[in-house]
Amino acid sequence: MDDKEMLSEEQLDFLREMMNIGAGNAATALSQMLHCEMNVEIPVVHVLAPRETPSVLGDPSLPTACVRMGMVGDVTGELYFVVPDEDKVKLIHLTERAMLRGIGVSSPIHRFSASPLPGLDLSVLTEIGNILAGVYFTAIHDFCKLNICHSVPTIAIDMIQSLLDEPIVALSSEVQGIILIENRFVLGENHIRTFLLVVPAVQSMKVLVDSIEQARMACSEG
Amino acid sequence: MKDESRNEKTGIRDRKSEVLQVRMGEGIVTGEPHIISSLGLGSCVVVTLYDIYLRIGGLAHIMLPDSSQIRMRNDDCGMRNNNPKSEIRNRRYQCADTAIVALLEGLQRKGAMRQDIVAKIVGGARMFSDYESVSTGIGEQNIASVRNILKRERISVLGEHVGGHHGRSVEFHLSSGRLIVKAIGKADREI
Repeated sequence: MDDKEMLSEEQLDFLREMMNIGAGNAATALSQMLHCEMNVEIPVVHVLAPRETPSVLGDPSLPTACVRMGMVGDVTGELYFVVPDEDKVKLIHLTERAMLRGIGVSSPIHRFSASPLPGLDLSVLTEIGNILAGVYFTAIHDFCKLNICHSVPTIAIDMIQSLLDEPIVALSSEVQGIILIENRFVLGENHIRTFLLVVPAVQSMKVLVDSIEQARMACSEG
Repeated sequence: MKDESRNEKTGIRDRKSEVLQVRMGEGIVTGEPHIISSLGLGSCVVVTLYDIYLRIGGLAHIMLPDSSQIRMRNDDCGMRNNNPKSEIRNRRYQCADTAIVALLEGLQRKGAMRQDIVAKIVGGARMFSDYESVSTGIGEQNIASVRNILKRERISVLGEHVGGHHGRSVEFHLSSGRLIVKAIGKADREI
């Protein structure tokens, strides 16, 4: 299955535009949280067949951090915030730096040495996942008038293929897609790559696609 | 990845093993001394069947506990798909009940004796440990279903590495029947 089967090219463009605005908000939120000037590239948005998804995220056997949230409201399902191992190290370093700055210690931004405070890594990533889910849902709400909330996040670090087993299995018997949003946050010369996977429940994909179509029509008329 | 070489002195070809990848919902049966590898098992379960005398083995990467509970899009878990060329992508391997029967048939077609076949089970984890209330528990269901079916088919289980909250990768060595289980941050374990 490719993008076109689930969404028309115009609908996909509209989704990309929404996600672009979401990404801008995400960069602002991260900049504030990490006390640095974070920019963001235009996100790559795809609708993928469930079984194709892990391979798009890289080597299925490498350790990857994954924050899982439930979606409730007009669209139900699940949401996964995925951070590859190397990018996880960068994010945690930036957080450490922001915290040290808070107590008056400065450290260079370009050195990404992995020395996470114990327990800090998981809670930081969970919180960043929480924030990004919020800003993306706000963008969807602003355009599509869909109210979506996410439940309390939970995190696991393991092989990406194994982490995504359950949602893929749950969707595999239906013609369904997973919406993948790849973000590249830019900080000076460094890039931090994160993925957001929206896994709508079987009946919710249609709600989402219909709302995108309505919003798109309203925008083109206006 | 075929790794065949000739012995320098004798000129006889050494039969070395080939690594075969089995992805989610796939399965394979072979009598060659290959290594069958399957990466990133979460709630999925890998079942291996092995004829300990003839060294014929099969591995299935099972996604779901029961084919009767789900609606399959194209065919009934591949029950009508008898083309041997499509063996590896056969939908029968997606569900525990059909997958174990498919493996058994595959082994017996290659000459394996039913009383010599033994099984090993790996996987069925619950990846997000604090997600109990919402999680479907598909991993536990997969393990239970696989155990039941093996019991019904009177296949003895020689080893298990199941449950828990972590992912696993497996390597099944057909030359010896060894099954190596790998997990991130843990030592490799043979079952």
